[in-house]
Amino acid sequence: MRRWFVILVPYLWLLVFFLIPFFIVFKISLSDIATAIPPYTPTFSITDIGGFFSQLDFENYTFIFQDSLYIGAYFSALKIAFFSTILTLLIAYPIAYGMARAPREWQPTLVMLVILPFWTSFLIRVYAWIGILKKEGLLNLFLMNLGLISEPLTIMNTNTAVYIGIVYSYLPFMILPLYASLEKINPALLEAAADLGSPPWKSFWQVTFPLSIPGVLAGCFLVFIPATGEFVIPDLLGGSETLMIGKTLWNEFFNNRDWPVSSAVAVVLLLVLVVPIVLFQRNQEKQREAGR
Amino acid sequence: MSGATVQSATPAQPKSPLRTAAPQSGFAPWKDPSKAPIVRFENVVKRFGDFVAVKDCTLDIYEREFFALLGPSGCGKTTLLRMLAGFEKPTSGRILVAGQDITELAPYERPVNMMFQSYALFPHMTVEQNIGFGLRQDGMPKDQIATRVDEVMALLELGRFGKRKPHQLSGGQQQRVALARAIAKKPRIVLLDEPLGALDKRLRQTAQFELMGIQERTGTTFIIVTHDQEEAMTVSSRIAVMDHGEFVQIATPGDIYEAPNSRYVANFIGDVNLFEGKVVSISGGFAEIDWGPGLARFKSVAPEGCTGDQQVWLALRPEKIHIDLDKPTDTSNTIPGKVVDVGYLGSISHYHVELANGQRVKALRTNSSRTVDRPISWEDKVWLQWPAETGIVLTR
Repeated sequence: MRRWFVILVPYLWLLVFFLIPFFIVFKISLSDIATAIPPYTPTFSITDIGGFFSQLDFENYTFIFQDSLYIGAYFSALKIAFFSTILTLLIAYPIAYGMARAPREWQPTLVMLVILPFWTSFLIRVYAWIGILKKEGLLNLFLMNLGLISEPLTIMNTNTAVYIGIVYSYLPFMILPLYASLEKINPALLEAAADLGSPPWKSFWQVTFPLSIPGVLAGCFLVFIPATGEFVIPDLLGGSETLMIGKTLWNEFFNNRDWPVSSAVAVVLLLVLVVPIVLFQRNQEKQREAGR
Repeated sequence: MSGATVQSATPAQPKSPLRTAAPQSGFAPWKDPSKAPIVRFENVVKRFGDFVAVKDCTLDIYEREFFALLGPSGCGKTTLLRMLAGFEKPTSGRILVAGQDITELAPYERPVNMMFQSYALFPHMTVEQNIGFGLRQDGMPKDQIATRVDEVMALLELGRFGKRKPHQLSGGQQQRVALARAIAKKPRIVLLDEPLGALDKRLRQTAQFELMGIQERTGTTFIIVTHDQEEAMTVSSRIAVMDHGEFVQIATPGDIYEAPNSRYVANFIGDVNLFEGKVVSISGGFAEIDWGPGLARFKSVAPEGCTGDQQVWLALRPEKIHIDLDKPTDTSNTIPGKVVDVGYLGSISHYHVELANGQRVKALRTNSSRTVDRPISWEDKVWLQWPAETGIVLTR
């Protein structure tokens, strides 16, 4: 009885807060736009179940796939998420490596410092970047005072700003799993590699990096998946050229008030992300097996 | 004190037949002045902050030796080994391999390979890849690597496990892979850091003989670090007993056991009874030792440089003491006592005998016949006796 309860709680949670909302969104995506409250039709009625189902169709989906705007937004989002993930990895790896190699007694403090930004609201931190990146912002003032540039750089409202925002915001999600896997590596392995004739840089590629791959994959998924659906960063830092599916979804929902199409966009986004999520879980599974 | 002086201080005792009880092989390059050592530690000192891990150690190790560094944890034996591997730099002094100064060489440039206490097998590589790792670093052609890996795997009976990952192997198999990896490059010197420490007792004994077999067949110099005196006695050609970063004695297992140079060594290797006393007189190479008022004096072979009135300790191995219910006819070195404890182990029996002054003495007897008229038992009055040649007089 108690065992059932323990199992039931998480499933109930998923049912109430994921599955039911998903079905509501899915149902709306099959509806048509209407000038009403709520702004779609049909609405569910017990009396006419047959008529209700007959009005549902996949029109919105065919619309999304025929309009290059949406397809472009999906690909652009995947592209930005992909390159941000790689950039984040390149920046996070040396940081995590340094942390794992730091004296034992420093390490908890270093982990704290990585987590520290979370104590400030995500939104406020993204806003703060506006102050740094804008034309008369801190970065331009700094570079001009140093005499490195004479004209202020245009970073704000470009894709560059979006990349900076994503890399900055998701860096801790990359550092932490990397640090966890690097810190686990037995230092004797590197001594063994050196003893067998491998200089340090070769040992890194032969021992350290292969053993950190689970952390690399975990970090990449943790960055790539939320970055694909990111809305706040492209909205605040990006410009008109920045096309991301999260932003498109927002516009569709709040500006166009086209709930059915935006719901269809959301459902497709979810399907797109299911692939990396399944891969991520498979990786976790493998790691657990290897970690025996 | 440096190791070299310890070596020469080892008492040479050729006259007593008991001294040669340990098996002697003809292999003794350390006695041959024409032989050059393959490893030489020259006044090596290692400090970690205020802590002196190794104090001015000088040591020669010869080709094909199986040399053991023996001592309790923290005595500096592992530090010495790690300095030879290149993981630690000596604070001062030099380390030479085959006459070449390697003190400044990085670990990956040294002609030594190490077997780690934790084995340190690469978890993401198969057994074959682990064993071939060192060969790949040298850029050996693939087919030659495969041949050599097969050869080493056959030597260590690992043939069936080539494609497995380390975590799929038992402890004993992992130990053999670690050894295979250390010998794969045919290094001139193989270092073993507590190689059998993780194995259970039974497996450890087989592994010790395996180690000796591999060492003999490959003809390589092995240097082993261990805290297990039995292991050191079994496998090695010579043992360096260490304490607090210094060599206390460097000698063959037989000499270490039969002719320890100090109470520390006598206590560390095997069981020993120690009697504290004073040398009263020396005549004909024998010293008379007074070890308490009203107690019969002991007679024992006098060590070199022993003078009268010197404080000494008489060390006696339990198996060298005869224990008997009747007073022996030879009355030298004979003391009465009372049995307080008996340990029957089948092949042998241990006796704890309390002397008149309250000191307890351990004695051993082999149970060579199945029946005895009257076995020695608790509370029995017994006589302990030993020949003057079996006791060792220690001055420190």
